[in-house]
Amino acid sequence: MRGLLLFLLLLAGNARAEGVLHIYNWNNYISEETVTRFEAQCACRVMQDYYSDNEEMLAKLAAGASGYDIIVPTGNAMESLIRQKALRPLDKSKLPNLRNINPAYLNTAFDPDNKYSVPYAYTITLIGYNVEKMRELGLPTDTWAVIFEPEYLKKVKGRITVLDSQRELMAAALKYLGYSANDTIEAHWKQARDLIIRAKPYWAAFNASSYIKELTIGDVWLVHGYSNDIFQANLDAQKAGRKFSIASSIPTQGAVLALDSMVLHKTGPRPDLAHRFINFMLDGKNSAELTNLIGSGNPNLDAMRYIKPEIAQNPAIFPDSQHQAKLEMLHDLDRNQRRILSRMWTEIKLR
Amino acid sequence: MSENHTRLTPTARLNRWLKNVACAAKARRQAAKKRSLHGVNEHSEPVANAGLASTAVFRLPVKWLVSGPPFIFLLLFFAAPGIIMVLASFRYPGEFGGLAPVIATDPNTLHGFTLETYRFFFSDLIYTEIFAKSFLVALATTLICLVMAYPLALLIARSPKKSRNLMVLLVILPFASNFLIRIYAWMILLGPQAVLSHLVNGLLGAFGMAPVHLLFSSFAVLVAMVYVHLPFMVLPLYTNLEKHDPALLDAARDLGANAWQRFWCVTFPLSLPGIFSGSTLVFIPVLGMFAIPDILGGTGDMLIGNLIKEQFLGTRDWPFGSTLSIMLTIAVLACVWLAARLGGRRKRHA
Repeated sequence: MRGLLLFLLLLAGNARAEGVLHIYNWNNYISEETVTRFEAQCACRVMQDYYSDNEEMLAKLAAGASGYDIIVPTGNAMESLIRQKALRPLDKSKLPNLRNINPAYLNTAFDPDNKYSVPYAYTITLIGYNVEKMRELGLPTDTWAVIFEPEYLKKVKGRITVLDSQRELMAAALKYLGYSANDTIEAHWKQARDLIIRAKPYWAAFNASSYIKELTIGDVWLVHGYSNDIFQANLDAQKAGRKFSIASSIPTQGAVLALDSMVLHKTGPRPDLAHRFINFMLDGKNSAELTNLIGSGNPNLDAMRYIKPEIAQNPAIFPDSQHQAKLEMLHDLDRNQRRILSRMWTEIKLR
Repeated sequence: MSENHTRLTPTARLNRWLKNVACAAKARRQAAKKRSLHGVNEHSEPVANAGLASTAVFRLPVKWLVSGPPFIFLLLFFAAPGIIMVLASFRYPGEFGGLAPVIATDPNTLHGFTLETYRFFFSDLIYTEIFAKSFLVALATTLICLVMAYPLALLIARSPKKSRNLMVLLVILPFASNFLIRIYAWMILLGPQAVLSHLVNGLLGAFGMAPVHLLFSSFAVLVAMVYVHLPFMVLPLYTNLEKHDPALLDAARDLGANAWQRFWCVTFPLSLPGIFSGSTLVFIPVLGMFAIPDILGGTGDMLIGNLIKEQFLGTRDWPFGSTLSIMLTIAVLACVWLAARLGGRRKRHA
């Protein structure tokens, strides 16, 4: 199977023109203008493939997909790629713009000294809500309790969705219980599971994609979701002239930060172009375009002056140091932990 | 012309039979039912045999040329992946997804073959539970489809020949748009701001009951399952019902059978093969469906398809995903075997 895929890719490779950069990126994770500008500058073409979650990307690579110069994985997925020796070390002499990156986002546990990765953008998994409704119902928006405690939940029964992601939901529950998002003690997991099962009857759905739309049209008032999705929901709601607005907030107990980084895949045929692209994206102006487009967090200090003030001043996108300190990045689980968690997840879904 | 000939024979036989035995006594009715099925077999067998005879005329290379490509296709894309799946189910999951190696380079890492996924599956009732739930959903979908599709198929089959094609076209028209788009459309139709929701909740309110959410519920899942699979029930039923000889019904009427008796003693038994193939076409895809529960389901609507999908994505546990898939395949094969036996027994008894 792998051989066949490789053969097909080679076939496709021969048909390609000179100077093509292959990027395997998240959906809607780069501005069209940025791509066009890079293509003009390097006199090459940028080909993009997309994924909508890390697991999908890892699964595709595990099944033998190759030929990507650049991939933009989240920390734990990147760690997994590094340990599989699937990545190419960076040549930092070709990346002078690296100095623009906020040191707080460098040298992470996933990639000490940034041998392989350069931070691209981040999202925070937090609480998104319909501002008017929450005020009307008198619900707090700065605590995970509003997602997990029946005394609050009964006011929003059927109007709340949580992410359809084992890790993210467990992390929120663990954070609420006062544990680390990366806690792997089974007893703590069981506590989190019970908390989730207790809250579940009040939730409308486990939802990872359509909650943006549901927030926008006002059918759902409260979500456990990603910061840039909630940003998008508010943009859409304003564009549609809704009488409410959508906001997000980082719970005081802390939340999950997902830092996406640009890495070079070993099978990429054009590391030279890839380095040029990374350096290009490290330029403040280019980097800011993404944040202005989708409301993603930006680790680039030079980008701040190009970012729209309403985004730059949003504490759920650029948190203060107090909230920042409580953000955690998720680490990968080993195979046994994954199986145990999946078993718990099945139980959560079935009960 | 030859079609007329083959049609005449069973009709004449049945007429003679019905003349002798009225559709009154229960035992005799039973016999008529079998007799009529026999008629259909006799009707179709010469056609099938004619087809076989003509292929025998082909020389061997031609035969291979005709049957070779589909055979190779099945071998490559069905048999081979099936075998890979079986082998994968006996291995350990890789640390990062995929599979652990069979032969270890480092003896301390997991390698080789194991029965652990099967042990994991059978040591825990929760997986049996999710299978049972999926079977129930598939069964309910099939029954609802059958009840809804039968009158429709009958209506089309009994319409004037001219309008039949148009009606069949209308049945398959939904396929013109993408499956996912149709599912997303149901999100709007069932949403709390939709007319349907207002109607249902207004009615419930009038009786003093609490409002319900139609979207993100088992109800939404069932509605979409039926909606998507209905044509797969209508079409086999229609092709079957369309072939029925109207003379049979005329004969039954002449013999004094009322509308219900004509349906129950003549049409229904003759349509059993259509019911079986339609039910199989609905039941099996529903069993493996994961997109509909994902999109329209609430917090408790996980089916076996979702669980398998998750083993390959979120959990990155290929061996256990393979084990679940094999269990599903075995369950599906058992169903097909059962259906074939049920259908087959009727044939043999005839």
